[in-house]
Amino acid sequence: MTTPLLQINALSKAFFGISAVKSVTLAVHPGEILGLIGQNGAGKSTLMNLIGGVVPADSGEMLLKGKPYTPRTPADANKNGIAFIHQELNLFTNLSIAENIFIDAFPRTRWGMIDRVTIKNKTRDLLQAVGLEIAPETQIERISPGERQLVEIARALYQDAELIIFDEPTTSLTARETERLFAIMRQLKEQGKAIIYISHILNDILKLSDSLAVMRDGQLMAHEPTAAFDVNRMIALMVGRSIEQLYPPRSTPPSTELVLDIHGVSAAGIVENIHLQLHKGEVLGLFGLMGSGRTELARMIFGLDPFEVGDIRVEGVALNNLSPQSSIRNRIAFVTENRREEGLLMNIDIANNIGLVALPEFARTPLLVIDRRELLDNAQHMANTLQLKSGNIALQNAKALSGGNQQKVVIAKWLLSRPAIFIMDEPTRGIDVGAKYEIYAIINQLAAEGSGVLIISSELDELIGICDRILVMSRGEIYGQFGRNEFNEERILRAAFRETAAIPTGEKLPTLDEMAEGSAS
Amino acid sequence: MAIVQDKLSPDSAFALTNKAKRSDRFSGGIGMLRRLLVSDYFVLYLTLLFFLVASIFYPTLSNPASITNQIQNFWPLLAVAIGQTFVLIIGGIDLSVIAVMGITSVAGALVMAENLDPAFFDKSPVWGSLMTEAGGVLAGNPLAVPAAVLTMLLIGTFIGWLNGVAITRFNLAPFMVTLVTSTFFAALALWLTQSRNISGIPEAYVTLGKGDIVSIYLGAKLTPDIARRDILPFITYPFMIAAGLAVVAQFLLSRTVFGRRMFSIGTNRKAAEVSGVPTQSVIIRVYMFCGFCAAMASVLYSGRLEIGQPSFPNNLLLDIIGAAVIGGTSLFGGKGSIRGTFFGVAFFVLLLNILNAMRLSPFIIDAVKGAFILVAALLDIIRTRVANQEQRV
Amino acid sequence: MKTSMKYLGLFVIAVLSVVVSFGVVSAQTDVTICFGFQDLETEFWVAGHRAITETLRGQGIEVLEYNANEDPNRQLEQIRECIAQGVDGIIIIPQDGDSANTIVAEAQENDVPIAVFNRPPNDRSAGVIVVADNVSATEQAVEFIAQKALRQFEITGEAVTPLILVGALQDTNAIGRRDGFFNVITRYNERYPGLFNEPIEVATEWDAATALANLEAAITANPNVDFIFTSSDFLFPTIRSVLEPRGMWVPMGQPGHVLLAGLDGDATACQLIDQGYVDATGVQNLFLEAELTMNRLLQAIEAGETAPNEVLLDPGFALTAGNIFFQRSDMWGCVLYDDGFLDQ
Repeated sequence: MTTPLLQINALSKAFFGISAVKSVTLAVHPGEILGLIGQNGAGKSTLMNLIGGVVPADSGEMLLKGKPYTPRTPADANKNGIAFIHQELNLFTNLSIAENIFIDAFPRTRWGMIDRVTIKNKTRDLLQAVGLEIAPETQIERISPGERQLVEIARALYQDAELIIFDEPTTSLTARETERLFAIMRQLKEQGKAIIYISHILNDILKLSDSLAVMRDGQLMAHEPTAAFDVNRMIALMVGRSIEQLYPPRSTPPSTELVLDIHGVSAAGIVENIHLQLHKGEVLGLFGLMGSGRTELARMIFGLDPFEVGDIRVEGVALNNLSPQSSIRNRIAFVTENRREEGLLMNIDIANNIGLVALPEFARTPLLVIDRRELLDNAQHMANTLQLKSGNIALQNAKALSGGNQQKVVIAKWLLSRPAIFIMDEPTRGIDVGAKYEIYAIINQLAAEGSGVLIISSELDELIGICDRILVMSRGEIYGQFGRNEFNEERILRAAFRETAAIPTGEKLPTLDEMAEGSAS
Repeated sequence: MAIVQDKLSPDSAFALTNKAKRSDRFSGGIGMLRRLLVSDYFVLYLTLLFFLVASIFYPTLSNPASITNQIQNFWPLLAVAIGQTFVLIIGGIDLSVIAVMGITSVAGALVMAENLDPAFFDKSPVWGSLMTEAGGVLAGNPLAVPAAVLTMLLIGTFIGWLNGVAITRFNLAPFMVTLVTSTFFAALALWLTQSRNISGIPEAYVTLGKGDIVSIYLGAKLTPDIARRDILPFITYPFMIAAGLAVVAQFLLSRTVFGRRMFSIGTNRKAAEVSGVPTQSVIIRVYMFCGFCAAMASVLYSGRLEIGQPSFPNNLLLDIIGAAVIGGTSLFGGKGSIRGTFFGVAFFVLLLNILNAMRLSPFIIDAVKGAFILVAALLDIIRTRVANQEQRV
Repeated sequence: MKTSMKYLGLFVIAVLSVVVSFGVVSAQTDVTICFGFQDLETEFWVAGHRAITETLRGQGIEVLEYNANEDPNRQLEQIRECIAQGVDGIIIIPQDGDSANTIVAEAQENDVPIAVFNRPPNDRSAGVIVVADNVSATEQAVEFIAQKALRQFEITGEAVTPLILVGALQDTNAIGRRDGFFNVITRYNERYPGLFNEPIEVATEWDAATALANLEAAITANPNVDFIFTSSDFLFPTIRSVLEPRGMWVPMGQPGHVLLAGLDGDATACQLIDQGYVDATGVQNLFLEAELTMNRLLQAIEAGETAPNEVLLDPGFALTAGNIFFQRSDMWGCVLYDDGFLDQ
């Protein structure tokens, strides 16, 4: 075998005495795609941070092309030909594509001016290499997330990267963009680049990688050629036990008693004449593509956005003057689609995050003094119930948690207010398989205890796995309804795409396979 | 001073650094330095170190008279800085506090002043109505002083309400809103008084600004005649008022629903809104509290100066915001404490006094002051970085 | 990170020690006087500050300087600090007449003699108050150009048209200066009937733009003005910009010279007298005032007098082309001018 591009020997890193990476030995060769999987908190990010010079290793060594490699800063890593393509993109949205690619060192003319002509031509070549046909001077904010990803790759190519690390690159991409990304990754591989590909989408990894590394609790559980794996083995290695199913069984039947009744809700250009009924103990899925109005509808129900006509009844009582406060009084909970922006107080401790919604319940009149003991006890109890993996909840900030655990904090916060209606918008986005299963179990439990749960998701598999009923939303309207016994991926997708309706000109109708691709997990 | 600090140091659940994690990882000098840096008391240590070093060279700094004097200088600045800290915690800023102090100072004088000179004020738009030769509206009335203080507090709170409403209902930037109210009320105060100070302030009001409750004397017991300058103020009305305000503010911040909601808004206003925090009403009330604090400071400032003062110097605003920020309050919201502001104010008051004691040329003293603030701010950046490292997992 | 922390710690301690030791003053004398002033924003106050510190230090007195940056509250704090430090006497230039009263009372209550320099408190009964006599200084300057006018009148027989730029009349300084001007005009008209036409009054509100507009209008209406007094020297550039285009900005000794006098004695006035454009300016004798202040304060300290109360007047003097050679060093504006103040 050739010399590995990067050889890692017994690398370890601990934070506060807790091992994040434990004696990991791993190698990646030129022209190889190494898939890296593991639950959040398994140590993948720390390992990448070690490679990228973000944090120094405690022990162990790294060899780059056979020579010792000890990066001190991310810039060091860059200089050594290691590039990162992140989940959260690192581009300046107010600058052009060309400026972003050349930001570190603008080429100069011999007069000392920035050489715009060279920049433009070079950028055009780079963009061609990644199959992007956009003018180099286009501003980043005007292009889609998938295209931005390609710009990052172009930048890596410009920097002559030999090892490109992709961290969850497909999270915000459409099916077609994902396909294009994969094609480019294969192309890079053929050019002899080494690639480390981190993803939660196991099928993608299986399709794409040459070898596969699985991490759990900071340790490397397996590193073998990809052919040696199937999805079940991958999951088993990741979670440390074998999962028979991806979804816990729906055991409790919904009652016939209505808890939420939405009647004729419309807001011009957003949603139109929505009728929706949610029963006690029911898990109702709301499926739709981006822009179908599903998130907007949820925000209207919760009182965050206004609507023009229609009424909303909770347990038979019509609501008016909706606001988040009134919704909370009416025992509605809303897990928003974006944890970072609308869900959590990232720089505040976990206990206070959990306590936020139900805060007045822990207050003693007349001054609304908080009983801190009680708040902490309740938050701790909720953290235990949801099996939150964290340090001291009164000291650790939400920011320091993994995605799945952050989502648990959001759910815990709502659970403390004992809601009768739970609206969850993309509750499992960006969290790993093990944590997803736990979230599904929590949803199941909520329904079993009599709450109505409305789940919005663009992952159809997930809805089919956990719902009693699925509604399909398309262009602001409810376009189909499916009971559990009539669940059928193809029919639901057809409804979402309004097979019979006109498709906007210039856009090719996607094949069913492509549609399924975009929603498969 | 020790008493006050005790009251101001509760083990807040919002404690932003994490005591539990410190123990065993640190060893030796570096460890101690790190521990010092992330400590909540960092600014206090810095201030004390500075003071001790300076006292070696300038013994007069540490004489009891000078120390009690510094303590007296501390209270009015603390009162107004507390309000600003609240506003900064919710991610806002209040530039109008200086104007609030001016307009409330004038309003108080218009209620209670005794004797006004027509030569100064007959061009004032309120001459003959609110102002006469006999004085303000309630001149000579025994209730004049309480009525004046109440008026001042109400006006300060009202201007805070205006700020809060404009910011929340019309979604305007706090910087702009408070700049506008600041300009408006500063001009109003000058117009009403034609830019003159109003003297003739009743004695009871002056007491609020500088009256002693407990004084101390550190000398031979047998002296028959103690010089006035040897009797040192210890517990004064400004002390009671500002320390009381600090205790109430710290209580609100760390113990009540209101305080938690303030932090949630400052950290992430959208998330707070989704979580049912009545963001608008909390924001409005915070600005009202800030206006109230500024009015309280105005009582202390104008009381000890014995005049209704229409214009306060604008560079005081830098001391106010600077004290809060040096004390660890973030300009981006979501972070801050009254204890920190307390230390920050101490830093500013002592710094100024030390610089004066150093006999620097008046032409360069402000430049040196700026350099010290810069050093403190740089230390704070490092401190935040160290604290963040501790959080990272 | 770790090493940078260590260096940072050392750096901070080093900076503190260096800066702190930087200002140590070794000379210790018997008398310490605290000098609190409101700011150093204008050349007049820079000169005042300089007059006092130089006069005091010239006598070997230790001076504690405090700049209040136009904040009367800060000035009060600083004076309290002076008292705490046990100074023997205090000199202040207050921010305004009202806060001056409070500060004087504070010092006297604590048995420290205090003097107020140049800007008097509203209540002049407490403290040593040293103040320029506006009327007297104005009279001396206006008298000088009136004499010149008289000589001209005796030769030509043509009446002289006087003009005065009046300050903001809420200001006692402005009132005193106007009074001084009219005193001289009236006196000369009584003695030499027909010498002066009715004086033209131009309002300035102490504002150069207002002065410019009003003066333009007045000169356009009365082009025969040949005798101008400005209540403050800072308006000389304004006067020049009105006179020059009309051919009226002529040095003395040449035909068409307009008699010009002012008050304050700033660096520009000194320069213009040197060049012969301005005939005279009434000067507050800041150095005399500083000396008066110091002497009275030292006298009180020596006598154990803790609350001396007295108003001391500085009669001022007229600086003219004739005496500028001899009195140059008494005139604060010339001192600044000779130091190159106007070149900065």
